[in-house]
This record gives sequence, C-alpha cells and structure tokens, in this order.
Amino acid sequence: MKSMPGWVAGFVVIASLAVAAPKGTVPRSSADKYALHAVRDRFGIGVVALSPEQARKQFVSDVSHCCVVVEVALYPGRDGKLDVSLNDLVLRQNNSEVGEKPASAKVVATKLQKKAQATRDVSVYPSVGVGYGSGGYDPVTGTRVPGGTYKQVGVGVGIGGSGSQPGSSDKDRSTTETELSEKGLPEGSASAPVSGYVYFPVMRKKNQTLTLEYAVGGEKVQLRLPQETK
Amino acid sequence: MRERVLGLATLLLVLTPLHLLAQSQKHPDDSAAANTSASEAAAPDSAPSAKESENDNDGPAEKRKFRWHVSGVSLGASYSHFSGPYYYPYAYPFGYPPFGFYPGDWVTASFWYPMASPYPYYAPGAFHYGDGRGEIRLTTEPKEAKVFIDGGYAGTADKLKTLWLDPGAYDLTVAAPGREDFHQRLYVLTGKSLKITAKLDPEQTKENP
Repeated sequence: MKSMPGWVAGFVVIASLAVAAPKGTVPRSSADKYALHAVRDRFGIGVVALSPEQARKQFVSDVSHCCVVVEVALYPGRDGKLDVSLNDLVLRQNNSEVGEKPASAKVVATKLQKKAQATRDVSVYPSVGVGYGSGGYDPVTGTRVPGGTYKQVGVGVGIGGSGSQPGSSDKDRSTTETELSEKGLPEGSASAPVSGYVYFPVMRKKNQTLTLEYAVGGEKVQLRLPQETK
Repeated sequence: MRERVLGLATLLLVLTPLHLLAQSQKHPDDSAAANTSASEAAAPDSAPSAKESENDNDGPAEKRKFRWHVSGVSLGASYSHFSGPYYYPYAYPFGYPPFGFYPGDWVTASFWYPMASPYPYYAPGAFHYGDGRGEIRLTTEPKEAKVFIDGGYAGTADKLKTLWLDPGAYDLTVAAPGREDFHQRLYVLTGKSLKITAKLDPEQTKENP
C-alpha cells in the first residue's frame, strides 16, 4: 500500500492540533502581576477568580450558572519546563478535606444544556378591546335602536415547551464546549507561560471560603480566593 | 342566496358550542364525583382512599365518559390590499454589486461560488432572523467597514447592523482601508444576543530604517 507523503501527514497533524487544541488566554508578563500569586522553584502561579458578573461578560455561555471560573496562569520554574495538568488543581470549600477537581469543557457544556432544558418560558399576553356598535332598527317595532360601545379584556398564559430555551439544543452544547475548551487552560508540557480558564463544578455561596490548591513535583501552593460578598 | 348560507353557517357556529355547553352542564353530579375521587387520590397519607378511587374507575362506563367543555369561540376575518407597484417577491438585504461579481442570479451563484473560493458564500437572507439562531449586533468605526465571517464576505457594517447566525463558533473580521483589521472569535448560541463594537485603529505606517 502506498503511504501518504510525509509532508501531507505533517500538515494534517498540525492542522488538526491547531483546530482542537485549547488556546487559553494571554498570560501576564509574570506571576506577580496577578492579585493572587505564588512562586516556587519548579513553577510560578497567578490566579484570578471571576465573579459571576465577570464570567457573564467573559463567556457567551452561562458558565457561572454551574461553576466557579478561575483564570490560572502557570510559569515554568528554573528548569524551564512544566507539565500542566488540570488534575494538579483542587478547589477546597471552607478548608474541607474533600476537594473539587476541575470539570472538562464537555462535562460543563452538558450540565449547562441540561439546566437550560429544564427551564421553561412563561409568557402572559394581555388583550384589551374597545368597539362601537352603530345600532339599527328593531325588527318587531320598527323603531331605531341606538348604538353603543363594548369593551373586552382578556389574558392568555403560554408556557414554552422544553428545549425551547437558549443553550438547550445540541448545537448550543457543542458551541459551549468549543468556547469553554478554547478559553480553557491548555494542558501538556509547557516551556513558556500558559494561562486559561479552569471550571470547578461548585456553586458560590455568600461568605464561603474557597481555596485553590496547586501541587506539582512535591511542591504545593494554596491560594485563598476572595469571598463573594453579594 | 349567499347571505342565507352565511347566516346559516354563523348560526351553526354559535349554536354548536352552546349545545355542547348545555350538554356538559346536564350531569353536575358526575363532575362532582370525579372531583371527589381526584382529591382523594391526591391525599398522600390515605392509602384506602387511593384504592377507593381506583375502584371508582372500574364502575359503569357512563362515569368514565370524557366531556368537552367549550367555553368560547372567536371568529375573525381580515382583508388586505396593497395598491402600490409590484416588486420582486423577496428582499435582497445587501443591495447589489459592488458586493462581488456573480454571473447569473444568486441561486446559481450559490452553487458555483463555493468551488471557486475557499471561503463561504453567503446568499441573500443568510443573516436574517430564524428560529434557533443567535443575534450579533455589530457597531463599527468606520461605519462602512467590510465584515467577513469565517473569511467569507458578509457585507458592510452599516448595512448589516444585525446578523442572525446559527449556533456555532465563527471568526469575525472587520476591515477598512487604512485601518488595522479587527478580529474576534464569536460564539453564537440560540436566542442569545451579542453586542460587538469594533473600533478600527488607523494603520501604523512602517518606518523605513
């Protein structure tokens, strides 16, 4: 069997990687440019926790409805290389022993689709009508019957079917997945700083303490995220 | 003759629901019984009652009849007439050339154009409102900047203003002569509205060393 030329295979691989790979966000010049940061021998980390309002502005998808969104920037340490994996990140609530790992874009997109399908639109349609009858002649007596006005008031209530909500179709799920994936933290070996969003399937509550933990190569960092005050 | 037929038809339309309404009100006991059994079945802590209501369903066929309650009928009629001149029956939203040269009309162009260009071809109506689409409200500076979606020419921003696109991810490019191009990745979701403001900066001239 004749194999395909090497340059064609190379082009296909590069093209597919360029399409599928998450691009993340643009990292700042150094970790200390982030409000929450830490620098160790092996890595530097900078973190920004997005409030629901910021997440709404940053994403078309309603990711704040199901997740805490954190922008994470990672900087390779002295050896100049860093293996970036979402599994090295954990979010702990109120310093509990059990932490929450980040959810993949696919899982978050599916969650959002289910949430959108569960909600239904309720619409109320009021109607008001005023008319005038010009009158006529009584067929029995033959006398003129005067005209008059008539008024009518009505209201209708419509409940939308399931699946009619924004973000509930399969195409929407796929788009949400693409957005979350493209803006997500790129995984893999990094020799330069990388940054992107990480989605934790946790609902934010008032006065809840959230701590982001990053552990790699025996070194661990704990960063306490600012509390939600609203 | 026509008036008589219309009169009879109207009479029939008015009398039928009245007749049905009168029929449904003939057996008030039936509906009361049905209500009682329904409320009993709904009580969560009374298992015997629930069983009773099941037994009721096995009763005479007369009790299980469905009855239609017609509470109102409305009729309407309308007539419209347009006295103006006759135009071609579809609207062409982007005007005619200079938006590209397409031999023949847009129907044939939509067949041959994708083969001639790597970029998508947008036929008239491609950005109109449609069920299951998302809205992009576009404001540009300058207003007559050219808009490209996934590399395909869509029109000028001042004419487009609002684009309705199918859910998906798109690459938006806004370009104008003497200005830097504006690029943005768009994520379109059903029923969502996205406001994009593209202010194109003047192109920086390359300084000669």
